[in-house]
Order: sequence, then structure tokens, then C-alpha cells
Amino acid sequence: MHTLSRIRFVFALICALFVASTATAAVELPDGKKLDTVDFERHVMGLLGRTGCNGGGCHGSFQGKGGFRLSLFGYEPDKDFVTITRDSVGRRINVIDPDNSLMLLKATGQVEHGGGMRFSKGSWQYNVLREWIAGGALGSYGKGAVKSVAVFPDEIAFKKVGERRPIQVKATFADGSVNDISCFCDYRTNDDAVADVTNRGEVKSVKPGSTAIVVSYRGNVLPVRIMVPMELPAGFVYPKVPEVNYVDREVFARLRKMNMVPSDLSSDTEFLRRIYIDTIGQLPTPEEVRVFMADPGADKRARKIEELLKHPLHAAVWATRFSDVTGNDTAALEQPVALKPKRSQQWHDWLRKRFQDNMPYDQIVKGILTATSREGRTPEDWLKHVKTTDKGIEVGSYDTTAYANRETLDLYWRRQVVVPIELWGERTAAAFLGVRVECAQCHKHPFDRWTQAEYRAYANIFAAVTSNNISPEAKKAIDKENLERKGPNAPKNNANLNLITKEVYLGAIGKTFTHPDTNTYLPAKALGGPEIKLERGNDPRVDLYNWMRSPNNPFFARAMVNRIWANYTGVGLVNPVDDFSLGNPASNEALLDALAKDFIAHNFDIRHIERTILNSRTYQLSAKVNATNKFDKLNYAHAYIRPMIAEAVVDVLNSALGVSEKYGPDIKPGSKAVEVGASQMQNQQLAYTFRIFGRPPRTTACDCERAMEPALPQKLFLMTDPQIFAKFNDPSGRLQGALKSSKKDEEILEELFLATLSRLPTDRDRKAFAEHRDRVGSRREAITDTMWALINTREFILNH
Amino acid sequence: MARDCEGFSRRDFIKVGSAGLLGLSLPQLLQLESQAQASNGPRPRGRATSVIMIWLAGGPATIDMWDLRPNAPENIRGEFREINTSADGVRISEHLPQMARVMDRATVVRSLAHTIPSHGPATVFMTTGNLPRPTLQYPAMGSLVTRLLPAAPGVPPYVSFTELRNGSAGQAGYLGTAYNPFIVEGAPDTRAGAGGAGTAASLRVRGITLPTGFTLEQLENRDRLLRNFDEGMADIDRNADLVGGLDAFHQQALEILRSDKTRNAFALDMEPLSVRQRYGMTPFGQGALAARRLIEAGVRFTTVSLGGWDTHGQNFVNLRTRLLPQLDQVLSALIGDLGDRGMLENTIVYCAGEFNRTPRINNNAGRDHWARSMAVVLAGGGFRAGYAHGTTDTNGMQPANDPCTPDDVCATIFQQLGIDPHMELQTPTGRPMQLFREGRAIARLIG
Repeated sequence: MHTLSRIRFVFALICALFVASTATAAVELPDGKKLDTVDFERHVMGLLGRTGCNGGGCHGSFQGKGGFRLSLFGYEPDKDFVTITRDSVGRRINVIDPDNSLMLLKATGQVEHGGGMRFSKGSWQYNVLREWIAGGALGSYGKGAVKSVAVFPDEIAFKKVGERRPIQVKATFADGSVNDISCFCDYRTNDDAVADVTNRGEVKSVKPGSTAIVVSYRGNVLPVRIMVPMELPAGFVYPKVPEVNYVDREVFARLRKMNMVPSDLSSDTEFLRRIYIDTIGQLPTPEEVRVFMADPGADKRARKIEELLKHPLHAAVWATRFSDVTGNDTAALEQPVALKPKRSQQWHDWLRKRFQDNMPYDQIVKGILTATSREGRTPEDWLKHVKTTDKGIEVGSYDTTAYANRETLDLYWRRQVVVPIELWGERTAAAFLGVRVECAQCHKHPFDRWTQAEYRAYANIFAAVTSNNISPEAKKAIDKENLERKGPNAPKNNANLNLITKEVYLGAIGKTFTHPDTNTYLPAKALGGPEIKLERGNDPRVDLYNWMRSPNNPFFARAMVNRIWANYTGVGLVNPVDDFSLGNPASNEALLDALAKDFIAHNFDIRHIERTILNSRTYQLSAKVNATNKFDKLNYAHAYIRPMIAEAVVDVLNSALGVSEKYGPDIKPGSKAVEVGASQMQNQQLAYTFRIFGRPPRTTACDCERAMEPALPQKLFLMTDPQIFAKFNDPSGRLQGALKSSKKDEEILEELFLATLSRLPTDRDRKAFAEHRDRVGSRREAITDTMWALINTREFILNH
Repeated sequence: MARDCEGFSRRDFIKVGSAGLLGLSLPQLLQLESQAQASNGPRPRGRATSVIMIWLAGGPATIDMWDLRPNAPENIRGEFREINTSADGVRISEHLPQMARVMDRATVVRSLAHTIPSHGPATVFMTTGNLPRPTLQYPAMGSLVTRLLPAAPGVPPYVSFTELRNGSAGQAGYLGTAYNPFIVEGAPDTRAGAGGAGTAASLRVRGITLPTGFTLEQLENRDRLLRNFDEGMADIDRNADLVGGLDAFHQQALEILRSDKTRNAFALDMEPLSVRQRYGMTPFGQGALAARRLIEAGVRFTTVSLGGWDTHGQNFVNLRTRLLPQLDQVLSALIGDLGDRGMLENTIVYCAGEFNRTPRINNNAGRDHWARSMAVVLAGGGFRAGYAHGTTDTNGMQPANDPCTPDDVCATIFQQLGIDPHMELQTPTGRPMQLFREGRAIARLIG
């Protein structure tokens, strides 16, 4: 076969050389330009990419399709050249009779093709391929390698809906030549409700809003930002909107360009409910609402912001968020099983203490990223230390102070099962850089810059981190201790009785990845950053940390301010928050930049950024839309209605119903749900509620694991769940208390509204209640029904 | 917007939503997305439309049930004898005599093997058809079915009579909470004379049926009040997807609560006493009967579980006196009943546990965990009738012929449901995942 194919190839080549001079003719491209010579890499590879031939579902899959395998997204043109021209006995191309090339017959559907018809016979794509074949199907052997790609323009501001504008793409190649390759790129819109793009790169505005068109050419990805402003009626005068700080300046500047007017300032009750949910995951009590409403002070919002940022539960909300980010997965923690939820609590409380103390963000990350178990202690001192930390979490004990006082969070690394180094790479990148690199494990990232080599080099940083063993220095002391604990008659392999089974330390340099192409030594390297030395006595994670926190790092500060922003608005400037990539530009780059600069200038002061955001008019806008901003979903022209996190749902329900949650033995009694560290717990009722409202198991260490979309079971839960009814019937709860009291119905109605919706009933609400009471005829029933109806309103279960 | 490795944007699928979220469940909505994704290529036609999984929690000693080793030494072959069945050449344990009568309708797979002798991960492996990974939770088969097959109106697609391993298995994993099973609560009425008024069983699907003392009339009444209070929200932002979406779910929840389909499925007293007794007046038996009624009502996937199979001690006593008689009656009744009703054609019955038990008997007359060889039973939905697939070696230690894996069996089940076992879904990070990457449908199990 092989010999035969070679003979055919040589024969074909000879024929090609013979006919080449006469067969070539310029191909007309759809943009009217003429292509004189078709180049394999520049044009054929571009075409294979934009036609989808080398995608993961087609010939780019690792098994290929129909016996034809191309490199995924065309990253290996040399291999593809061989596959196309020689494999399959060279049938894929026929230089003598190009129209009979199998490749063309298949792509046009003239011969049965699993992928259907990709283009028609005689189309420009057909002509380009045909021309390349007729010209001898020559390779370009790296001359067509891309040096850089540029788009023109890189931002389009439309005037109105229905306009069309072209994008032009130019590439500079290895040989220095610059070509217009607009027709050979792939174009996608990030939001086709705002702007659409043709496969030739012509953009059409569809609806007011902003988005990006992502252009890719053979693995090079570039965004074109798109803005479609509202059309204002003639004579409309854009009002002057007061600005509090740079957040408003950047947001309103953009809204001005979009012809969108920000909504009005929120009412006091709207503001109060929102900020309680956002900062502490709770509702204000009826009393707190009344006090705030009665406060005449002009600075009462600013004062409330300060009060809540210092509130102990505020740190608990961040500890919950960062438990997601850092992967506080109870199931994955080390044995014994009974201690796992409490270790999760230590993890949570370690984080919480730092957010409570407003420790600079870089310092927090340092404690996580460079953690060791001993933190320089001698084995004996460490032993004492572990006894102290573990004493706090014995059966019936819930004291995590000793662990929270540790310098570093060794639990981040200490897992029951060995975590491979590439996973540490993926986890740290997602958590602290906001970058998802997992695609690059197997192939170059299709919508970002990361190559397989970069993925592996980053993973190599973690080659010396040992987290599933005990260091030789400590082993003797630990063995002795463990033996004593177990006693002479204990079963040999029962690790459950051991005091210490794992230590996080820098051990020998373990297995590292080699270069994916050359299989040679691959030095450790930060993502898009410097090489990092792996040598004994040097913790490469410290070098990684130093690179992260340096002011020039393109991700570190931006990832965190984006998370803070997303916590308070519901939508990250980069969204999803852990998907900083070339194909996913920020919706307001200037604002993201300003926040990041401010964060760095203030020494990574989280609370400073929070204060800035919360005091801005932008944060305090009403959720009520106006005619100009009703379409807005990305530019913060009004407050966005959003779901609450699962923990807040539990707490908010409990506070509305005036009850406290009953936990199992693994959770400290009296805790709020946002204070719970464990992702798995013995109380199955609570676990059920958490699950249906989207609390993540934290297995992937991706923010996306937390489900923030409404689902039917949530609705059914609120309407019918026995847990809810048990809380209704709790004799010390709000409802039974109200029923027993001698208060007037109107007073009770006010209390129930304040406790659930954090506002007083409107006239319409009062009327509805009165009518209902008359209809059912029983006070008891009317009030019970009211409680049920209130917790089932959208206004209650949503944050707005 | 995030893109996956296939180059699809989530938005490509979600745009269906803005067109008509109302009247679609989120699963249905997402289903439209997945259809958009499945794109070209004809889908293999399946015969089965639903699955009843009989889960034997703890790891049943299949060496004493479906694959006896009579020629092995005494400390392996155990106390039980083989008997002939209605299927030619298929012999099973003497303590499964009623199953022996319906074996001509079932398939036993004897050459299944995996490598995880630990309850948790083995349960996940068997119920997801994917080797568990520390970094990703695979969806259980029921969740996949919820996602990929159209749902009948007014009934939940995936109903589980127990939370497998306290909810750490049987869940939707990377598909998201919307695809988790609906859980059955309460106990069936198992009194022999049950059937009169006022003796209705307390079985209900959590969230689907109104709790005792809460009437439909009350619900409608309260809902009217709620509508009034909720007006304010509609004023705030009529365009917000979330507000509209929640309203759609509210409507759907009401529809489900109003529908008596699920409730009726649990009204076991609507069955003739003889049918109820055929299944046995035990929670397990009546649960299996309720499962059949759920499937009739349109449920796609239901799991009924019987625990107590972790027989480290007194394996034979436990099997003979307690476990096998129950299983024998219930599984044979289910297969027989489905067959009599003509439902076996479209319903797959899958009876399995997380693993087998050690061929060598331990000092406590028990058997320990053993995953290297195990047997499962399948019936209906196009699975071959009266067939034993594969063999194990003399001592039952490992497959001797036609070895297969949990992935393969799951792939075969999905093939029979008309779902390509290798179709791709996306994780939330956009990573494409084949349903059963390592699974190959076993052709000989079909027909």
C-alpha cells in the first residue's frame, strides 16, 4: 500500500509539474479580490478550518472520521499535507483531473459524505481547492506559518440597527509577506441577538447592545468589539447623570455611547435588601428595614455599606465563594470520613478569617498557593500543632481557630487521592488567573492562546509538591505517634486511627511533562510568564506567586476585581468570571482596567474595591428599566435581577420564616448556611436543599460548577416541600408567633412583608390581602396563605 | 461568551430560549439545544422508551445467583446448587426458582468486570457507565435520559425510590441540578388486605405531590393571592429572562401539581389484589409495582433499590432466607407483568449492583467485595431473550469469554433507547464529553 501510494504520488507530482503551468488561473474570491496563487497553508488550511473539516466532531477528532484524520483545528499543516496528498493511495486529490479528487467529491456531497455538503461545486471554496490541486497540490513547508494576524477595524460602533460593516483580516507570514486573508477566517458572534456576522466577515447590527465578533484564522484568535446603540427619538436630550466615582465614570461613558440612560437610583428598601443579600447573604430584619427607612441622614447608605462590610457574615460569604474557587470538596479530603466535613470547615474558616481581617488579596493567595503542612516547624512541633488543630474538631467540638491561625492552607493540597500535576495547573489557573486551560491538555486551545506545550510547562511547576505522603524528616516522629495512638492490638492498616496521614511538602522533583512535539525536556514556566527553576531547596510555587502578584501580571488583579464585580452585579465584566480568553473580551475594558489598577495601587485591598463599587451610583441603580435601557444585559444600565446563591436561599428562607436550621453532628449548631464549609453533610434535608438550589460539590474547582439558573425543582420545593411546611408550623417561628399574637391583621401583614420582601405592602397588596381574607373567611388561613404566597413570589426568591 | 472545543457557543443553543421559553421545561429547552448540537447523521432507531433499574445496593454475590461455579472447590462454589431455567442451557441458583421460569424473557451477562471494589465509586461507575474521575462528576443514566429523551407532560422524567449512596450517586453531575432525579418519599401500603377507602399508601414523589393536608383547592387559592403580590415584579423588568423563566416554571409546577398522573401511579389500590400480591406485599415489591405504574404514566427512568447485599458475614443464610426470595419474587413479577401487558417490548429492566463478591468464602461464611467478575440481568427493550452472555473461569475469578465492562452495558442500553452512545454533551466549562467514551454496544445482547 505504502509503496503504491508513493508511486502514485510521484506520478501525480510529475503530471502536476507538467500541467501546472497551463492549469493555473486566478480564483475570484467573494470579496471581489483575485487570488493568483493558492497556497496550501495560507489558503487550503484556512479553508479547512472555516469549513469545519478539522473540528473535533469531524476529521479533527482523534479517531478521525471515515478513515480521514486531520490535525485538530489545523495546528499541524505538515501532517495534514501528507494525509491529504498521500494517504488513502493518494485518491483524495487528482492533479490530472482535479474535479475527480475525492476531497472535492466528498465536500460537495457528490460522493456520500458523513459531514454532508460543505460547499457546492463551482463555489469559490471549490475553486480555491480545485486550483490548488490543479496547480500540483504543492506544500508550503512552513512558509505559510503565521507570524501575526490583525483585524481592521478592531471595534465597530454602529449608528443604528440594520447596518452592515465588513471586517478585514490581514496576516503576516513567516516569509515576511502580508496577505489579506479575510475570506479564509472563521467568524462567530458572541451574541447574535446584538450582531450577526456572515462567513465572509460582514457584520450586521441586530439589536441595541454590545458584544464581540471572534475571528479565528488557523489557531489565531482576535475579537472585534461591537456596539449597537439605541436609536433615540428626535429631540431627545440625554440627561446629566451624577457620578460618584470612576466606576460611574466608565459605566456612564459607555452608556452615553450606547444612547442608554441609566435607571433611577434605587429606593431605600430596594437598596437595603440588595446590599444585605450581596454582602452577607441575609435579609434585613423588619426592624432593620424600619430603622433604615426612618434614618434621615444623607450618608445612611455609605454608613450601611461600612457596617455590612465589617459584618462577620460578610467574610463568610467570601469564604463560601472562595471555597468554590479553591475546590473545598469535602469528599476529596483525607480520611477518616467522619472528620471530612470538619476539615472542610477548617478550610472555610481559614479563608473567612482572612476576609474578615481584610488581609491583602495577594497575601491570601500566598497562603494558599505556597502552603506547606509544617510551615518550617520541626516534626515534633508540627505534631503538637496538629494535635491542637485536630482537638478543635473532635466529636462535639467545632473550634477551628487553631487551624485558621495557621499561616498557610495546607488543606488545599492535602487530598485523599493524589492529584496529578496538570490538575494543579488547571486549578491554580482557573482560581487565581481566571483562565481555563484544560482544552490545551490535548490540543491548542481553540479560542485562546494556550498551546499544549504551555499547558505542560505550567503543570511542571508543581512537580515537586508532595501532598500524599509524609516527608522523610517527619516520618519517624509521625510513625511513632500513630503507633502509640493505635495501640499494639489495633488492625494494621487502619489509617482511620492515625493522627497524621499526609503532609504537604516540597519533595523530590517527580515526573514532569516533556515537550509535546519533540518529547524533550520542558522547563517549568508560568502561563505566558517566565521560566521557573525546579531545584531542591527552592519552592517553585513561590516564584509562581511572585510572578502572579507583580503589577504587570495580566490576569491576577483583573481576575479578582472581576469576581468582586460579579458578586455585586451578577454579571462579570468578563463573563464567565474564570474565562479570561482572547475569544471572550471584557464588556467594559476601561472599567476592568481601572478597577485592577486601583486594586494594585491599594495593595490588593479587597474592601477598598468593594466600597468603591457599593458606593457607586451604578451599584445603587434601580432594577426598574426605562425605554432606553430595557435591552441592556451587559452595560450595567440598571441593576440586574439575579438568583441568590443556595446558601443565601436557605438563610433567607429561615429568616423570613423566623426559624433556625437544624444541622447534623458535623456542623456547628446555630450556624448560618453561608458559614457552612462542607460540601457534603450528614443532614440530608439540608443537602437536598443545597443541591436543588445549585450549591456545587466543588469537584472541578470551576466557578461554573455553581448552578445559577432557575430549575423546576426549586419552584416545587418552595411550593410543596415538607421542610418548608415544618418551618411554617414551628411553634417558635414567625408564622405561629403572628397567629398567636393579638396584633391586628394589618400589623401582621406589614411584618410578613418586611420579613420577606423587605418592604411595606403597597395599597394593592393590602387590598389583595383583605379580599383574600374575606374569601377564605378565616384569619388563620388568610395569614398562613399570605406567608406561603410571599415566599413563592419572584420578588422574594430573586435578588434585585 | 465561552466556546467549547467544538467551536460551539452556548449561545448557539440558548437562543431557542428567547423565542419561546414559556411552555418549555428547562430540560426540554436544553433538549432543543442538544438536538441543535447532535446535528447531522441519522440517529439509530431504538426500541426501548424507558428503563426500570433494580439496584441491589451493597454488592450482590452474583456467584451465588446468576453465575454459579459448581466445579470450583468447596470454599468457592458455596452452598447453593444450580437449576435449569426456561431458557435453554441457562442455569441459575436454586433459590431463584421464579426467575428460572421467566429466564426465557431475560438476558444474563456473566462476563462483566471492572476494577473498583469500593461501594461509592463502584456505584458511580455502574450507574453512569463512566469510570469515576476526581475532577468531574458524570451524570447517571437517568439524568442522561432526562436530558436526551422527550418528557411526557405532567410527569417527572427521572424518579428514584432511594437516593443512591445518600445522594452521592444517581445524580446529574455535570449536566446540572435540573437533571437530578425526583425522589420518592414515604412507604407503600403493604397490608395484605389494603384496597379499601382511606388506606392509600403514603408514597409520593418529593415536590410533585402535595403533602398531606394541603389540598389542590388550597393551592389554587393561595396561588391567586400570590399572583396579586407578584404583580410588582412584572413591573420591574418584563424583559429579564429570569423573571419570565421563573414564571414559566411556576406554571409548570402548578400543572404537575394539578396533574393526577403521578399521584395515580402511586395509587396502588387501583391494581387488582392479585397483581399486588404477585409483587409481594413488601416495600420493595410494591415499589417495583409503583415503578411499573410510573413508566405507564410516562416516566422515562426509574430506580428501585433493595439494600442489604453487603454480605461479609453469613452470606448464604442472608441470601437464602432474606434476599433471594424477595428478589426472586419481585424481579420475576416485574418481568412477567411487563410481558403480560406488552410493555416489555419498550421497557428495559436492568438488575445490577455495584460489584460481585469474592469467589473465596471468608471465615465468617461471607464473601467480600469483588469487581473482577460479576453478573447482571437485563430484560426487555430489545435485549435478547433467554440468553447468557460470556462466561467466567472455573473459579469465577474473572471473565473467560467475551469480557465486557459497565461502559459497554450502559452503551448497549442507550443504543436500545435510540441514543448514540458516543454522542457528545458539554460540561459547564464547554468540554465535549461522549456519553460513554469507553463503551461499545454489545451486539450479541440484542435480538
